[in-house]
Amino acid sequence: MTLNPLTIKKLRRFKSIRRGYYSFIVLMILIGVALGAELLVNHRALIVCYNGQYYFPTYGRMLPGTVFGGDYEYETDYRKLARQFAKTSESGNWMLLPIVPYNPYENDFKEGLYPPLPPSFHDRHFLGVDIVGRDIAARLIYGFRIAIFFSLLLLAANYIIGISIGSAMGYWGGKFDLFFQRIIEIWSNVPFLYVIIIIASIVTPSFLVLILIMAFFGWIGITWIIRTVTYKEKEREYVLAAKALGATDVRIIFKHIIPNTLAVIVTFAPFAISGGIISLTSLDYLGFGLPPPTPSWGELLQQGWANMDAWWISGSVITAMVVTLMTVTFVGEAVREASDPKQYTFYE
Amino acid sequence: MTAYFIRRCLLIIPTFIGITIMVFTITRFVPGGPIERMIAQAQQNRMGETSATATSASDEQRQPLSEDQILELKKYYGFDKPIIVSYFLWLGKVLRGDLGVSTRYYDPVWQIIRERIPISLYFGLLTMIIGYSVCIPLGISKALKHKCTYDNITSIILFIGYAIPGWVAGIMMLVLFASYWDIFPLGGMVSDDFDDLSRISQLGDIIWHTLLPLSAYMVGLFTVMTFLMKNTLMENLSSDYVRTAIAKGLSFKQAVFKHALRNSLIPIATSFGNNISIILTGSFLIEKVFNIDGMGLLGYESVVDRDYPVVMGILVISSLLFMIGNILSDICVAIVDPRVQFK
Repeated sequence: MTLNPLTIKKLRRFKSIRRGYYSFIVLMILIGVALGAELLVNHRALIVCYNGQYYFPTYGRMLPGTVFGGDYEYETDYRKLARQFAKTSESGNWMLLPIVPYNPYENDFKEGLYPPLPPSFHDRHFLGVDIVGRDIAARLIYGFRIAIFFSLLLLAANYIIGISIGSAMGYWGGKFDLFFQRIIEIWSNVPFLYVIIIIASIVTPSFLVLILIMAFFGWIGITWIIRTVTYKEKEREYVLAAKALGATDVRIIFKHIIPNTLAVIVTFAPFAISGGIISLTSLDYLGFGLPPPTPSWGELLQQGWANMDAWWISGSVITAMVVTLMTVTFVGEAVREASDPKQYTFYE
Repeated sequence: MTAYFIRRCLLIIPTFIGITIMVFTITRFVPGGPIERMIAQAQQNRMGETSATATSASDEQRQPLSEDQILELKKYYGFDKPIIVSYFLWLGKVLRGDLGVSTRYYDPVWQIIRERIPISLYFGLLTMIIGYSVCIPLGISKALKHKCTYDNITSIILFIGYAIPGWVAGIMMLVLFASYWDIFPLGGMVSDDFDDLSRISQLGDIIWHTLLPLSAYMVGLFTVMTFLMKNTLMENLSSDYVRTAIAKGLSFKQAVFKHALRNSLIPIATSFGNNISIILTGSFLIEKVFNIDGMGLLGYESVVDRDYPVVMGILVISSLLFMIGNILSDICVAIVDPRVQFK
């Protein structure tokens, strides 16, 4: 793929804005970690060496306890097995557990102790456990994975609707534009959180349903922006030239106008992503988001708010949120600055 | 110009009808409305009675209200007519200034809303006043010191504030200052012994309760306004007329404050109209976190409890305010900037 020189210049400018560039790297690492979360945070072992044979239980089918000489048919309790191996080290059996050997759904109850429990390095609950005994680090990482992919999908849905309606409004203008303007005015006035809460209290929304509901109300912002940009682009000579050559409206919009509005589209994407994360978290906090026990930051925030003495719950989730949203915002700011042709002059 | 604004005002009507009819229709299709709640309540009452007298189980399962009673209830709440008919009945009442009666508290909706308005207004006005009086000077100083250490550091702080939603910052502040260090109260507007305090300590008590929620409100607003100020001022500073002013011998200070600043205040002035609805309705998430009985929390609770007259009442007020705010901000533009022509 060859990039046009303007894009290369923008990329170089983006790289030179260090705050945004490093944030971008951090964000990519975070997403990478979240994608491979099973290797870092999981109740299944990474490698088990049992009687000279190697097992890699992380992905794939569950291995019943009988495989490793247990007397139960349900999934192997690797943490227990690890302790067993440690006792009989001369047998040559060993295993490698992930850094956090818990999954986000299991309740790890300790005798005589009542959750929430503060962080403990001995139990490898590095961020403590929540009010029902689930590991917070596990819930944070899996919650991040859900949140980031939720907002990416939401962004795609919003952009597809917004760009097509927005460019149509800007290109055709007139009655079509006026009609959609009114619809948008109505739409943006309907308190969308109310409607989501109302819908969510009838049906428990699944991941995709929630995206659909949110996209139903989320397309307005980008539509408005694209409409304005298309209005401007439509008046340029190249559109007239394309028209004179006999290009159809569809071709002009998709081949000529939308590539020219790309800068605007890209600029707003990071802010849309952080917006998506925030709205999912707010809904989960209120209890109208993804159904429990889906790991989610909003639910952890709710727990932290209700149990303020358990500072490790709110502390870890707020830190995670601040880091994520900040990096996304810094990236967004850098992208905006890089694609901004204006170089301010200033006086000394 | 006048014609333009009259047309804008007339366009409020179809939009208003569109908004209310949409939410009205949704509320009619949602289960768990007032009638279902009454049936459930009656069932509970009966359960209480029957368990005392210990009658057969089949008796308890029976519908507690008779068909006639349910019909009567439906008539009372206007659920017996088709949506469009009852919508226009409702609209007619609203036009006469009657927002109906809450199905939860059995008080007139307007009275409930009126009680909450001062609380939201208090926070909204404080946020606006402090916001404008900090953001404008901050924006100016950041524009003048563009790319200096001072500018970079304040930018980072502002971006952190922008990245975190206000209510999350609120939870953070509650955990730190109210629970861990125990300096500030956990929420609410006043202490329990408020009535026994002297005038001065009453004032102190209110301020003490106000500080945390107020900072939560400010967190996000701050950034947007400061950067708006900074960026417009920088744009004006790099424009030709400022260069001319400096070239003809005006001092830099005079060029900034006499020429550039005046033009830079235009976008700030326009944002004022949009803020009207924020002033009055507040943020229900922040109000929920801090347990403040404002408009936002009222709206949220009424949705959760299916108190539809209140939901519709708040919708009427907030949507009207939003639309009027939009027009006001256009009027602001026209007043501040004589070049703007609306047609």
